[in-house]
Amino acid sequence: MKAALIGAGQIARQHLTCLKTLPGVELAAICDLSPATAEAAADRYGIPAWFTDHRAMLEKVRPDVVHVTTPPTSHFGLALDSIDAGADVIVEKPVTPTFAELQALVGRAQDAGRHLLEDHNYLFNHAPQEILRRIKSGEFGAVTHVEVLICLDILGPDGFADANAPHPALKLSGGAIADFLPHLASLAHLFVGPHRTASAIWNKRKSSPLPYDEFRAVVDAERGTAALGFSASSQPDAFWLRVYGEKMQATTNLFETRLTFDGPRDVPKPLRPFFSGLDEGKTIRRAALATLLRKFKGPGAYEGLWEFLARTYRALAERSALPVTASDVLEVNRLVEALKPQEQLQ
Amino acid sequence: MRALVTGANGFLGRHVVDALLARGIEVRAMVRPAARLDGLDWPSSVDIFRADLRTSRDLARAFEGVDVLLHLAAVVSGGEDAQFAGTVAGTERLLDAMAATTCRRLVLCSTFSVYNYSAISRTLDEDSPLHETPELYARDGYTISKWWQERVTRRFADKYGWDLTVLRPGFIWGRDHAYLAALGQQFGRHHLVVGPLTRIPMTHVENCADVFALAAVDGRARGQTLNVVDGRGERIWRYLSDYMRGSGNRGWRLPVPYWLAITVVRLGFSTVFRAATKVPSILIPQRFESRLKPLRFENRKLRETLGWTPPLDYRQCVARTYGPTAPPRAGRIYRPALINLNKAT
Repeated sequence: MKAALIGAGQIARQHLTCLKTLPGVELAAICDLSPATAEAAADRYGIPAWFTDHRAMLEKVRPDVVHVTTPPTSHFGLALDSIDAGADVIVEKPVTPTFAELQALVGRAQDAGRHLLEDHNYLFNHAPQEILRRIKSGEFGAVTHVEVLICLDILGPDGFADANAPHPALKLSGGAIADFLPHLASLAHLFVGPHRTASAIWNKRKSSPLPYDEFRAVVDAERGTAALGFSASSQPDAFWLRVYGEKMQATTNLFETRLTFDGPRDVPKPLRPFFSGLDEGKTIRRAALATLLRKFKGPGAYEGLWEFLARTYRALAERSALPVTASDVLEVNRLVEALKPQEQLQ
Repeated sequence: MRALVTGANGFLGRHVVDALLARGIEVRAMVRPAARLDGLDWPSSVDIFRADLRTSRDLARAFEGVDVLLHLAAVVSGGEDAQFAGTVAGTERLLDAMAATTCRRLVLCSTFSVYNYSAISRTLDEDSPLHETPELYARDGYTISKWWQERVTRRFADKYGWDLTVLRPGFIWGRDHAYLAALGQQFGRHHLVVGPLTRIPMTHVENCADVFALAAVDGRARGQTLNVVDGRGERIWRYLSDYMRGSGNRGWRLPVPYWLAITVVRLGFSTVFRAATKVPSILIPQRFESRLKPLRFENRKLRETLGWTPPLDYRQCVARTYGPTAPPRAGRIYRPALINLNKAT
């Protein structure tokens, strides 16, 4: 399968590094508005062709799959052109700035018989997949509630809060935090299904170019409830996922490899906390070492992206079920839309 | 004569502005939109142009009435991609804008990092081999982006027939920037000194700025690529002693011979880290060499081409780096002589 990328920035590197490892995938071309950025990426990853005009690339290379890895406000037009050129499209999150644009894209893809996928990478990290496995096996019990809280300092001068060059994500409703909503919404959707109602609080604690730096939400979904959050002030950086089942509870930090389960135990009830604590301590010590070692090798916290791409290409080649369906993308983004602020703070 | 200086409020840039002013050259200083300029003490004649090379539109306006561009701007913090976007794509946008103007003269601030230290055995000079791709991509983000910045700039100069001078400074040091990667590895207050007798390819920021101002006005600099170091460099042990004395840092120093350190690094890399994707820079042999390899460094070509000698000797540089802060606009060292200005116009 011929793969091509539009956008050769930071996240593109993760896509490229992964694609180089996938069997049956030919990295055919890359495109970026900056000629040197496109040329350097082609040079580095052994890609035979580079372009600065995505339409020229689509016309000349005719890729089977296009990865759109540009800033979100450009996704809609680029994905549309890629679908029209006959390609399946993998779009980085957030797939489009508005839900209406996403609906238009999904419709166009369905009309053309093509697939449109949004990168819901954290669903495919080891920890959520292991929790999912236990849920499917029945040992976890039915999920009643899920909590997802990202604590990430995005107020530093080099990234989202760059006072010199406004970050593209600031054009989204919700600003920089909107860039993380697909992570929160996709994890909620994975464990408790499509949402029925959602209520969000958007706040700003610190002075910065960001419109908001704190976010909390409560979601009522078909199979349970979810509490979602983002904090730019709480430290240290962490990506907490807690899943509450009828028989077990799971806690993981998706920036690390830590994953602990607490469930029924074959000991007298008063001793359960003692043995649970011992077990949890042992698991955390092992995870600490694994987190250290994975800094040296592999995709690190992007392990889910690699797994997502591997499953996607396998499914496309075998014409089997995709790991993220159009329905998933629509449901996740229906929740994202419901979580967005109604008006920007002044 | 008017010069446009990008990165004008940076560590080197602010001294280059002073050096140009001392030579009687009008300066347009390009600084980022949110840059704070307090403490720079620039005279009102300095024309401030606020722009960010990554995003600002209408960069061509910055070139109005400009005879020479001194391009010092580079992103030196953040991840590899942020550095590439800021330094390389930013240079493309700047030079695209320049192509639409009448400015035809350009001095680029490159770096010693573009040289492939692993392929150099004795003396590093302007004829030494540069990195090549794909070997380049094993290097750090700064090296990759500066290498590409030089490549992009040369392509523009060739395409539009510009007069280009590429200056490649070694380690630039001065007040508040005295700790150098060439000193080894710091652990808190303590130092692992690799190759204590190795000489550092170094240039004091005021000496370095003097070269940039000279290159801007001296016609002999056109078409040249020149390494910028003050001389053969101080030995690491002595420089570190002065640093510790001057900065009040009272840690321990553990000297380790270079051959022993590089052997350990190579052994570790070939047995443990070869397959790793993320390794601390000091544990990668090529990067280790580019920081610490004992080579001879000299400024013969700079001296012969421009007749330059450093205005400040090492002791004076130490005094200016660690001594009392000079009163505003006093004690500047830049030579006002407009030597060879006629050749530049």
